[in-house]
Amino acid sequence: MSGLEWLLWAGALLLAGGSLVPVLRRGAGAALALQGLGTALIGLAGALILFGEPALGADFSDGLSPRLGVDGLSGFFLATIAVVAVPALVYARGYLEGGPRERLTVGLAGLFIGSLILVVTARDPTTFLAGWELMTLAPAAAILAARSDATVRHAVFVYLAVTHLGGAGVWISLLALAHYGALGEPGALAAQGGAVQALVIVAALVGFGTKAGLMPMHSWLPRAHPVAPSPVSALMSGVMVKVALYGLVRVLFEWAAPAPLWAGLALLGLGLLSALGGALYALTQHDLKRLLAFSSIENVGIAALGLGASLVFAAGGEELWAAIAFGAALLHVLNHAVFKALLFLAAGTFERAAGSLDLDRLGGLLRRMPWTGGAFLVGALAIAGVPPLNGFASEWLTLQALAHAAFGPSLGVGLAAAVAAAGLAATAALAAFAFLKATGLVLLGAARRPEAAAAREAVGGMRLAPLLLAAGCIALGAVPGLLVPALMELAPQPRGLASEPSLAVPGTGSLPSPWLLLGIVALTGLLWLARGSRRAAPVPAWACGERVEPALAWTSAGFTKPLHLVLESVLRPRREVTVVRERGLVRSVAYRGEVPHLFDTALYRPARRLALRGARLARRIQSGSVRAYAAYLLALLLVLLALARTGAIG
Amino acid sequence: MSAAAAAIQLGGLALAPLLPGAIQSLKARLQGRRGPSPLQPYRELRRLWSKSLADPQPTTIVYRLAPCVLAATTALALLLVPVGGIVPDWGLGDDALVLVGLLVLGRFALAAASWDTGSGFALMGASRDLTLAVFAEALLTLAIVLAALPADSTGLAAMSAAANGSAIWSEPAHWCAAGAFALVVLVETGRQPIDNPDTHLELTMIHEGPLLEYAGRDLALLQWSAAARHWIVLVLAAGLFLPHWGGFGAQLAAAVAGVALLCLALAITETAQAKMRILRVPGLLAAGCLLALAGLASSLAGGLV
Repeated sequence: MSGLEWLLWAGALLLAGGSLVPVLRRGAGAALALQGLGTALIGLAGALILFGEPALGADFSDGLSPRLGVDGLSGFFLATIAVVAVPALVYARGYLEGGPRERLTVGLAGLFIGSLILVVTARDPTTFLAGWELMTLAPAAAILAARSDATVRHAVFVYLAVTHLGGAGVWISLLALAHYGALGEPGALAAQGGAVQALVIVAALVGFGTKAGLMPMHSWLPRAHPVAPSPVSALMSGVMVKVALYGLVRVLFEWAAPAPLWAGLALLGLGLLSALGGALYALTQHDLKRLLAFSSIENVGIAALGLGASLVFAAGGEELWAAIAFGAALLHVLNHAVFKALLFLAAGTFERAAGSLDLDRLGGLLRRMPWTGGAFLVGALAIAGVPPLNGFASEWLTLQALAHAAFGPSLGVGLAAAVAAAGLAATAALAAFAFLKATGLVLLGAARRPEAAAAREAVGGMRLAPLLLAAGCIALGAVPGLLVPALMELAPQPRGLASEPSLAVPGTGSLPSPWLLLGIVALTGLLWLARGSRRAAPVPAWACGERVEPALAWTSAGFTKPLHLVLESVLRPRREVTVVRERGLVRSVAYRGEVPHLFDTALYRPARRLALRGARLARRIQSGSVRAYAAYLLALLLVLLALARTGAIG
Repeated sequence: MSAAAAAIQLGGLALAPLLPGAIQSLKARLQGRRGPSPLQPYRELRRLWSKSLADPQPTTIVYRLAPCVLAATTALALLLVPVGGIVPDWGLGDDALVLVGLLVLGRFALAAASWDTGSGFALMGASRDLTLAVFAEALLTLAIVLAALPADSTGLAAMSAAANGSAIWSEPAHWCAAGAFALVVLVETGRQPIDNPDTHLELTMIHEGPLLEYAGRDLALLQWSAAARHWIVLVLAAGLFLPHWGGFGAQLAAAVAGVALLCLALAITETAQAKMRILRVPGLLAAGCLLALAGLASSLAGGLV
């Protein structure tokens, strides 16, 4: 065995040990350390393979015997898993301590990480599907281990129901691929003709798309992610939805390749819907974790836009841009994993410190919790896609890919790409809006509740983990050019790009990220010095001469009101104002407003109603009488005999 | 050539306040008033620079840092704008989308500062600014895509070179792009009919709202940033979307004439047009998006000529 294989097996052993130990005996801390070390070793091995070490283990096969292996793409996803899992485990020590069923949750977290690793290293359909199902079930168990009130049970039920209904697509596409021998020999599927290929691609889009949270199959995501313990939320949002994208990449770019143009356009459409819809609904949320969950949908949409653009370029024969768009999507996968994990972990700290995740009940936490608050601010800037942080680098590259796809030559594709580019720009603006709202309501201004005013900074691992991830946001933003060429090598038709810190992409004005970072920091510092800070007069904020009272504080709904009004026909906000009068005097006014989730009310609810109605119809023939069942059997037999007689079957 | 362009850009950092000053002065003339001199913004900056700062309670470093971040990003964005068709090599590249990103960072900083003060008027302005930004950024991206199409690059120098000469004006796409960018100019400079820079009524403010709490050097930095934004969008508009030709010198002359023309156009628009209802602005910007898409369609379909 080579050194890398040793590294992988040692990591797997440590992870397995770390998952079993807490179930058998005490010692959650040691178990988390073992898990963290094991995941770090596996991630290191993955990163080494990504950066040029030869692939390890078996190739893909269509057989039944279990096979494992790691190539560049798997290596990238292993590294991404480790980048999120290690800080999440560091964080989990303090977060889970003393909580209900601490040791069980730790064990399940290890199992969850193990299942994620299994999916990306599986090299045969059986192992892949086993890992896939385990990856769905492990977080559900972890959620229920920590909390099991009725709302959480319902959220977990919806999660399992929707992901399994949609997940049927994964089984269909995988089994069909294995049937035609396309896993071991890419190109075998294309030889089967368009219909089979279309079946596999549509099934994969539905199956993996559901798990990735692509709209309109996303309904489970904003329910399940917020109720999980924060380290598990970070893993679900940071990595689990990305592992679904890994499956989509394998199918579209490898097993079912070359994917036809319509697959690229479909992915562009799904990505645009998810990006815009996710950002828009993130903006209307009042709960921090729900906001983060919707923003995960948005970011998966951005990655899907990159993948779709790559397929469109590949279908048009533009291999360089196909590789750039592919690299952009993978870069965004990694970037989103880093900042979303950071934001979920920080949200967990805020909940612990201030007792709530309701945006209107926090406020002023930056002063009380400078470390966690500062890390959250970095994460918010990164996810809002502003330079020089990592979110900007990948969104810039994706936007460049869409812009170049809009240059034609085909009219339809060009217009579609231009609409997608404009949509991505609007998405970035919406995300900035949403995270300004979150930052402002959580970190800035005055505390809105006594609990928030008395919040205490986290200590130990809970403080360290978000800071590590914030450093990752800055580092990935400074030198994306060192990573993108390696990611472009993973594209089906790899194309090289000079590996330097800046992103010097042909056909653009280049993104010299290290210099931008330096320029912004240096110039801001110079102006800060020029400004001086000695003669600042403390004054109250201007409120037309009134005293600024908590009742005058802006709310989450108030800040987004202009957009609600502009998009009233799309969002259809509901509001109720109840005025209580007594003898002609208004005693109290109660206001309640919400933005209903249109996909739930217009798509899922009618579908559920239809399913229940169908079930009621089906129940009519379930009389419970044995004679009726005997009659059904006889009727079936007669029908089959008649069919056999006419030659329709047999 | 490059050194001259660099000198002009650095000069632009100092000359920028002249643009809003000139617009105000022209506007006053058009309205039959004598009005302030075009140098008035410099006098205000000098006055503010020597006044003391204000520190609303309770605020954090976010409030105090925001003017510096805004001014720094605006200055860097200004260094990306080509003058006379040349972008000096500052090591920052010349990408149009990077320029947009820098402006977004400044907007983010100012809106965060509004939250930090908790002032209702600041937040009202910030929330309106962010609402319009959703539509304005889609429009700006489409305008950039259209202008980048003939150059096959989003590099600003290449885009400016592709618009050089008279041939480009026979393409309907370029007319559409110019029309779309005209709307971007109105939004980004905060001029009527989208925003009213002269208003003293807090309830109608957009860009002025977040500035209300600031005083002294902070306010000077913010006002300079607003002026530098004028420089960025007007010089960009003149360099990409107004006729220009020939070498560095000729392009420079064309740019000066173009910026002067745009200032006059802004002054006339402000005189002739009332402010729109804020809720109507997104419709206007969406119409701009449709115009840009129509331009793209005509270009991809081979043009109408």
